[in-house]
Amino acid sequence: YGGAPGGPAFPGQAQDPLYGYFAAVGGQDGQIDADELQRCLTQSGIAGAYKPFNLETCRLMISMLDRDMSGTLGFNEFKELWFVVNGWKQHFVTFDSDGSGTVDRQELEKALINMGFRLSPQAVTAITKRYSTHGKITFDDYIACCVKLRALTECFRRRDTTQQGFVNFQYDDFIQCVMSI
Amino acid sequence: PPQGFPGAGPAPPGGPYPGGPYGGGPPPGPYGQPPPGGPYGPPPPGGNAPPGVDPEAFSWFQTVDADHSGFISVKELKQALVNNNWSSFNDETCLLMINMFDKTRSGRIDVYGFSALLRFIQQWKSLFQQYDRDQSGSISFSELQQAFSQMGYNLSPQFSQLLLARYAQRSPNPSIQLDRFIHICMQLQSLTDAFREKDTALVGNVRLSYEDFLTMVVTRML
Repeated sequence: YGGAPGGPAFPGQAQDPLYGYFAAVGGQDGQIDADELQRCLTQSGIAGAYKPFNLETCRLMISMLDRDMSGTLGFNEFKELWFVVNGWKQHFVTFDSDGSGTVDRQELEKALINMGFRLSPQAVTAITKRYSTHGKITFDDYIACCVKLRALTECFRRRDTTQQGFVNFQYDDFIQCVMSI
Repeated sequence: PPQGFPGAGPAPPGGPYPGGPYGGGPPPGPYGQPPPGGPYGPPPPGGNAPPGVDPEAFSWFQTVDADHSGFISVKELKQALVNNNWSSFNDETCLLMINMFDKTRSGRIDVYGFSALLRFIQQWKSLFQQYDRDQSGSISFSELQQAFSQMGYNLSPQFSQLLLARYAQRSPNPSIQLDRFIHICMQLQSLTDAFREKDTALVGNVRLSYEDFLTMVVTRML
């Protein structure tokens, strides 16, 4: 199953439709960066009728799954991303009842609660302020918001060794954790 | 026009001027090529600059305010601000700046906000130039580390590495542009303040609940 570098790494990978999109943009190293991810996601049609992702959102997505901190994603990470984003998209579609491609503040709040994020009123205000344009949140911004929240949650959870919902943060760990998102 | 400020608008004919980004030929100022008729050009339509506003900032404001709304949006601001490599300032940095100087809470800035923003950027630009020791026009790993150290932050090399992986272009010598540098430093400042607020005993350690953590970060980082 081997073959040229960047080629299929395991049986069945070549048949995976997602691999087609990935391989089409990826370089020899089998990794894709933010630009390539943007192209890849656009071509896969994951955004459906919605406007696809801007570069900053793609960068965010990479940092969410970029475990080796390389600034790029391998195929498995890409696949994981694809499923996660699809899940969020389904959620968005549920809330975008008028099919406008945007949700409003209340709908965003409901969606976030639905996803299990426990947010204070100030946090919700900050989020909707940041991600809304004229009171509306687009699909791309919604995804960016989900990515950030998920990444922050992972960051916290990894450090919550006693699973009590509390973490003791050292200053530099806090900064590193938060600013790497 | 001030020397060495990142140019705005299209690159001058013949490509980047000789002598590097900070010197050499006639670099465009932040206000573009000097308009004909002297440094301040012909009087802008609608009269002179409002009191307290630099005439050049005013004339630049009018150019950037493409729809003549009297306000500059994130999109318009993006057209006005350029890095040393001619890339536009990224959306996040522009958003951060609008939020900082938007007194009207409308998501846009007026001429006073814009004028203050230009002064703010100039200050950061000077700092950036200071830390860009090899005058390459961008900040490398070692230059970033030194910058943090000189600013008084005690952060690991891994942190600088992380920032470069996240924000620099893939290359053998990754480095960051002015817009990212400003963005990073501002976030660092804000998050440090937030941390210090909670660390009343000043031990360098805080205990946070999940909700506190999210609130703290989301209100400071977005």
